[in-house]
Amino acid sequence: MSSKNHRSHNAQEVLSRLGKKLSRQIAGSMVACVHCGMCTNSCHYVLANPGDPTYAPAYKADRIRKLFKRHYDWTGRVFPWWVKAGSVFSDEDLEELKDTVFGKCTNCRRCSVNCPMGVDLATFNRMARGLLVSVGIMPEGVAVVSKDQWEIGNQMGVLKEDYLDTLDWMSEELQAELDDPAVAIPVDKPDCEIVYSINPREVKYDPRTISDAAKIFYFAGENWTMPSEGWDMTNFGLFSGDDDLGGAVARRLFEKVSELRGKKLVISECGHGYRSTRCEGPNWAKFDVPFEMESSIITMLRYLKEGRIHVDKTRNSEPVTFHDSCNNARSCGMFEEPRELLRLVTTDFREMYPNRAENFCCTGGGGAMSMSEYTPRRLKSAVVKANQLKATGAKVVVTSCHNCVDGLNDLIRHYKLDMRVTQLVNLVANALVVPARVAVPAGGPPEIPGEAVEAFAAERPVLADRTIVVADDEPDQVTLLATIFEDHGATVYRAYSGDEALEAARSRKPDLLTLDLAMPGRPAAEVFEMLRKDAGLVDLKICVRSERPELRQTIYEQAVRPPEGYLDKPVDEQSLLRSVRKILELAH
Amino acid sequence: MSELLHFCEHRLQEVSLVFMGLVYVTRILWFLHFKAGKERQGQTGAPSTTPAKGILYSWAIIAMPWAMESTRTKPLLYAQFVVFHLGVAAAITLSFIIPYAPGLLENRLLVWAIQGITAAACAVGLIRMARRAGSRYMRAISSPDDYFSLALLIVWLFFAVLAAPNQTSPEWRLLAFFILTAFFLVYVPFSKISHYLYYPFTRYYFGKSMGYRGVYPLQRSVKSH
Repeated sequence: MSSKNHRSHNAQEVLSRLGKKLSRQIAGSMVACVHCGMCTNSCHYVLANPGDPTYAPAYKADRIRKLFKRHYDWTGRVFPWWVKAGSVFSDEDLEELKDTVFGKCTNCRRCSVNCPMGVDLATFNRMARGLLVSVGIMPEGVAVVSKDQWEIGNQMGVLKEDYLDTLDWMSEELQAELDDPAVAIPVDKPDCEIVYSINPREVKYDPRTISDAAKIFYFAGENWTMPSEGWDMTNFGLFSGDDDLGGAVARRLFEKVSELRGKKLVISECGHGYRSTRCEGPNWAKFDVPFEMESSIITMLRYLKEGRIHVDKTRNSEPVTFHDSCNNARSCGMFEEPRELLRLVTTDFREMYPNRAENFCCTGGGGAMSMSEYTPRRLKSAVVKANQLKATGAKVVVTSCHNCVDGLNDLIRHYKLDMRVTQLVNLVANALVVPARVAVPAGGPPEIPGEAVEAFAAERPVLADRTIVVADDEPDQVTLLATIFEDHGATVYRAYSGDEALEAARSRKPDLLTLDLAMPGRPAAEVFEMLRKDAGLVDLKICVRSERPELRQTIYEQAVRPPEGYLDKPVDEQSLLRSVRKILELAH
Repeated sequence: MSELLHFCEHRLQEVSLVFMGLVYVTRILWFLHFKAGKERQGQTGAPSTTPAKGILYSWAIIAMPWAMESTRTKPLLYAQFVVFHLGVAAAITLSFIIPYAPGLLENRLLVWAIQGITAAACAVGLIRMARRAGSRYMRAISSPDDYFSLALLIVWLFFAVLAAPNQTSPEWRLLAFFILTAFFLVYVPFSKISHYLYYPFTRYYFGKSMGYRGVYPLQRSVKSH
C-alpha cells in the first residue's frame, strides 16, 4: 500500500506523463468548467442510472481534472481542498480512475457539444485512458486488442493468409452470383483510383460487406484494389488513448496506399475507423497524407449521383431508421450524406429522435465492446438507445459503424426488440439494378412489363427496324455482334477504329452504337465525347464495351451525358440482346 | 463623503483592479505556454463549414439557447443564466459609475433599472445556491469554491442594490459594496469566477476544431414527418 508520502511507480509515471500530454485545448477544458451541471442530462449513463451522480460528465471529468488542479493550477496547489484538487498515490487510485474513464464513458462527445463553456470531456477522457495504458492499467480486452494491432497489424488478429483467403472466397461467390469471371477483388493493384480499406470484423464476421462493396465497385466500373497489408483502417489507439499505437497503425495504412500509388483511400463504413484514419491518423502519425481519403458512404452516394450505379429502392421496403455513429457525426461532421443515400435506396426511412449531432451513443462506442467487465453497466445504459429505436417502429436500424452494429445488436437482443441491424453498403448492394446491367438516365428507368417484352419478342425480330453501328478493332468481335444483331432484324454497320465509328454514326444516324474502349488511334473517351457533342446525334444511344471494367471510368469522367449502358467482354447472346433491347426500349 | 469611503471608491478599487489585471495577464501567459494542437488532415463535413465559422459560432453559442440541447430543453435555467450575468454586468458597471460618473445616477430610471436587474440577479443567485445545495448531482460536482463564489456574488449583488442610489447617508451601504468589490477583484482570478477569462479561449479552440471537422454549426435533431 502506498501512503500519501510515498507514491507508487505507476502513479508517479502517470503524473509525470500528464504534463507532456497537456495541450492548450486540454488545459482550457481543465480550467474552464464552472460546474453548472448543464451537461448532466446529455449523458446516456446518467439517464439510465437516475440518482447516481458518479455518472455525471462533470463528476467524471473532475476525477481527471483534480490531478491537473493539484499539480498544475495555482489555487489547487496551494489550497487543494478548496477546489477539490487531488492526486493519485497508489495503483488502487489508478484502478479507480480506470473504472471511470473506461467503464463510465464511451467518449461519445455528447456532453462536449452540450457544454456552454466548450469543455471537451471526450478528449481529455481519452488522454486519461492513454496515461493509464502507458503504465499498463487498462481493461483486459483493451490490452488484448492493442497487442493484436501492434503485433499482427489488425485489431482482431486476422492473419494475412486468412484475409487473402476471404477475399478469394468473396471473389468466387461474386463470380458465381454474377456469372462473370471479371468480377474478382483486385489485390495490390498499383495506380488505382481507389484503395479500399476495411474493418477486420468484416473479414471475421461479416464478409458479405466486402462482397457487397466489391459488387458496387464492379458495377460502377471503378478501378480499385485492396491492399494485401495495412488493410485495417480501424485503430484501437483512438479507444486506448495510445497515440503511439494510433500513429503506427495509421502510418501502416498510409504507407501502403502510397506504395500502391493509390489516388484515393476509401474507408469502409466504420465510425471509429473513419475518424481515426481520416481525421486523427495524420496527426498521430505526423504524416502529411499525399492522397485523398473518403468514407465509402460518400463514394456510394457519388456513384449514384453520377449515374454509375443504379438502384431499385423498392427492394428495401422495410421501415428503416438511422443511427448516427458518434465518431462519424460528432467528430467528423457526417450528418446528411448517409441520410441522402438511405433515401435513395430505401422506401420507408424514419428518423429516430434525437438525431444527428444530438443522437445518443449506441453504448458500444469508445471500445466498450471489448471491455467485458463493464457489459452489465453498458447494457443497462443502453435502455436509452433501446427506447429511441423502439419509438421509430422501424424493423431495420442502419448504421455506418461496425462498433455500432455490435453495440446495437447486443442491446436489441437484451431488450428483445423486433429489429435487425444493417449497414448502408448492404442496402445499396441489395438495391443494385444488376440483371439488366444497363446504365439508365437519371430519374430512373420506365417500367417495362415482363409480359409485354416476351410477347414482343415472340411476335417479331427483337431488333427489327433498328440500325446499329458496331465499333471494335477486333474483327472477330465485330462479326460476332453484327451477326447476332442481324439475326434479330437489325441493320448493322461495322467500324474498326474510333474515326470510322464517328463517320458511321454521322452518316448512318444509327439507333445504337456499341463502342469498344480499347481501340487503337483516337482514344475511346474522346470519340465518346465527340459523339455526345454532335448536334446531329442527340438521339444516339451508346453502349460501351470492354473487358476491363475499370476503363469505364474514362468515359464517366467526361463532362457529357453518360452512356446508356455497358457490356463486358466476352458476352453471351442472351445477355447481349437483353441489354441492347432494354437500352433501345428506354429510348421510347 | 468620508475619507474611508473615498479611499474605498478610488484607491482601493484601482489597486485591486491593477492586481487583478496583472494576475490575469500572468494567467493568460501561463495558459498560452501550453502548445496548441494542429490538424494535419483535410477538412471534413459540409464544404460550407470552416474553422472561422466554427469559431464565431462557438463564441456566439451562449447567446443562442436553441443551438444546444442542454440550453434548449432547460429554458428556465437559461433565463436564470441571462438574468444573473446581466445583474453582474450591471453591478460591475455601477462600481465604475459611482466613483467616476456619479451624475448619471441622478437619473432615477437608471437607478431603478440597475436596482431591478441586480435584485433579480441576487434572487437568481439564491435559486442557484438552492439548486447547488439541493441537487444530488450538483452537490457531487461542487467544491467549496463553487459555494463560496456564488455566496460572494449573492451578497455583492445585494449590496449593489443598496448602493445604486449612491446615497452617503448612511455610508455603510456604499462602504460594504466597495469593500466587497475590492475583495471580489482580488479573489476572482483564483476562483471559478474567472471562467469568463477562459471562455474565449476554450470556445475558440473547440469551435476551430469543430468547424474544421464540419460539426459546427451543430446539426440539431429533425423530427420525422
